[in-house]
Amino acid sequence: MLKKLVLIVITLFLTFTSSAEARVYLDINAPTLIQIPIVLSKWKNVGKTSATLSEKVYEILVNDLTLSGFFRVIDYQHLPLDLQRKEGIPEVLFLKEWMPAGGEILLAGEAFLDSEGLNLRLKFYLFDLVEQKQMVAKEYKEPLQSLRAMVHRISDEVLLQLTGERGVHNTKIAYVSLQSGNKEILTTDFDGANIKQITNNQSINLSPAWSPDGKKIAFTSYLKRNPDLYLTDREGKNPIRFSYYPGLNASPSWSPDGKQIALMMGIEGKSDIFLIDANGGNPRKLTKGHGNEASPKWSPDGKQIAFISDRSGSPQVYVMATDGSDVRRLTYEGSYNTNPSWSPKGDRIAFCGRVGGRFNIFTIGIDGSGLQRLTSNSGDNESPFWSPDGRYIAFSSTRLGGSKIYIMHTHGLNQRPLTQSKGGESSPAWSPRFE
Amino acid sequence: MIKKSFSILILILCIGLIMTGCPKKTVIKEEPSTKKSEEVAREAARIEAERAKEAKEAKEKELARIKEEEAKKAQEKKEFEQSLVARKTPGIEGEVFETKLLKDIHFDFDKYDILQGDAEILKGNAALLVKFPNVKIQIEGHCDERGTVEYNLALGERRANSVRNYMISLGISGNRISIISYGKERPMDPAHNEDAWAKNRRAHSVIVSK
Repeated sequence: MLKKLVLIVITLFLTFTSSAEARVYLDINAPTLIQIPIVLSKWKNVGKTSATLSEKVYEILVNDLTLSGFFRVIDYQHLPLDLQRKEGIPEVLFLKEWMPAGGEILLAGEAFLDSEGLNLRLKFYLFDLVEQKQMVAKEYKEPLQSLRAMVHRISDEVLLQLTGERGVHNTKIAYVSLQSGNKEILTTDFDGANIKQITNNQSINLSPAWSPDGKKIAFTSYLKRNPDLYLTDREGKNPIRFSYYPGLNASPSWSPDGKQIALMMGIEGKSDIFLIDANGGNPRKLTKGHGNEASPKWSPDGKQIAFISDRSGSPQVYVMATDGSDVRRLTYEGSYNTNPSWSPKGDRIAFCGRVGGRFNIFTIGIDGSGLQRLTSNSGDNESPFWSPDGRYIAFSSTRLGGSKIYIMHTHGLNQRPLTQSKGGESSPAWSPRFE
Repeated sequence: MIKKSFSILILILCIGLIMTGCPKKTVIKEEPSTKKSEEVAREAARIEAERAKEAKEAKEKELARIKEEEAKKAQEKKEFEQSLVARKTPGIEGEVFETKLLKDIHFDFDKYDILQGDAEILKGNAALLVKFPNVKIQIEGHCDERGTVEYNLALGERRANSVRNYMISLGISGNRISIISYGKERPMDPAHNEDAWAKNRRAHSVIVSK
């Protein structure tokens, strides 16, 4: 297996000789997931860096690369004794020493905390152990409190080097949690760390949606005894009510330019898809007819809106132009298809479909072809939401009892829970990258 | 008939007046009239008295009826007020009143049309609104837990509006009925089975103003 991988890598090297960008170690569009074996040597402490600090860096790094799903991480503690002790960045000349580690790639680094203990400098090198050469050397310097974000940037860089596309380690996921007894909006980092409460109002809070710049979150709340739209910054501060027409103001989705919001509105006695300006004004109805219309999602190119309608007798996924014209039905299989989410490239839509009384996650091409089922035999799986790099889908699942947020690769592989909570989680929304 | 008799009487009196040429009123009255006109007058007076008596009786009867009705109304009002249970929900502004006099109706899965038997229940609810014209209600549309949050919000909205429209068709003014969809967010029975789901697919009415 290892030999085969090495062969693939060598072949790739031969194919794409000099250009670093063209060298793709891992085809992320491959139908199966091949994991690159990557060795993480022990980090070196420089300056005032304590052992715990560099261990923390190391721990986050291992976790990030493991969660990405693209790596088989070889921890230094599992290396031959002489390699276990080697800290910091090796000379290219001595890379041969690392061959017994069993990896194709070596990630090595050192952490330097300045004398005041305020600023942290993380220096890291990526080596190709097969070719015996250095791939990248970088250094990030930021205040100590940005440690997590800095390490996530390293992970993103590793992904960029090895897959041709940056990672999403510096993203957050907003979701709804019932843990306090009522539905509140929370956010967490991609790795499930750093959980923050965005609402704390004891009301019913639903459907969080990130603004395209990642600075704001829109959501529905029943604070004023009507499902109204609210807007808050990403710390949960300064919430304002900005769409409060009688009836539903729900399921917001921002246009990519951030100027408009598509939503469900009940002004006309049933739920229709409307557009409003980002300040809540100027509502325009897009859907016609007698169906119940739900869950609008703006396409990444800003030209279309996917939504749910039961105009055919059961809820199905439809797509229309942003002026309400050119409506076409996308899903025909199954009698209950909801929760559309666009891939960032705009070529596929993930949705939740009912099969045999259970809900599962599917994706389908925007032309209605290539239906793929991503979950099965694992409780109810709902609310898929694509990551900004298009490589993952967050969703909720009741596979272990309570509903929890999970993350999987878009091919359905590597499904893992996002947080350590016992349940009560739903409606994940992935943020854009924060950089 | 009485009117006609009066006219005749006046006509006769006028003729008498012209014939005697006497301008004094008293004289007219004292002037012995013909036997016939006396009889007419007596008859008129009797009719008048009878009419007054009848009117008085009718008035008394009406008063009694009104009194009875008022008592009944007061009793109903008392019963209505006693039936009200104030409900405050944390995180949701304001206070509403629950009453067992406003009954819930239920729906089939993924449906919002009012079932045959439930129309009678809604007529009962409408009758209550007719009795208490100051009352304003809010109809809550609820769903079972199956399906997505958003689609269930749409379904709840539609269920509440089905009920509102039916109440309006029964003559209740639309501005007395607001709606709210709770989707699947406020189940009556939190269990995960058919029985619970059937209970949870409902339209529930609360009083927002007495």
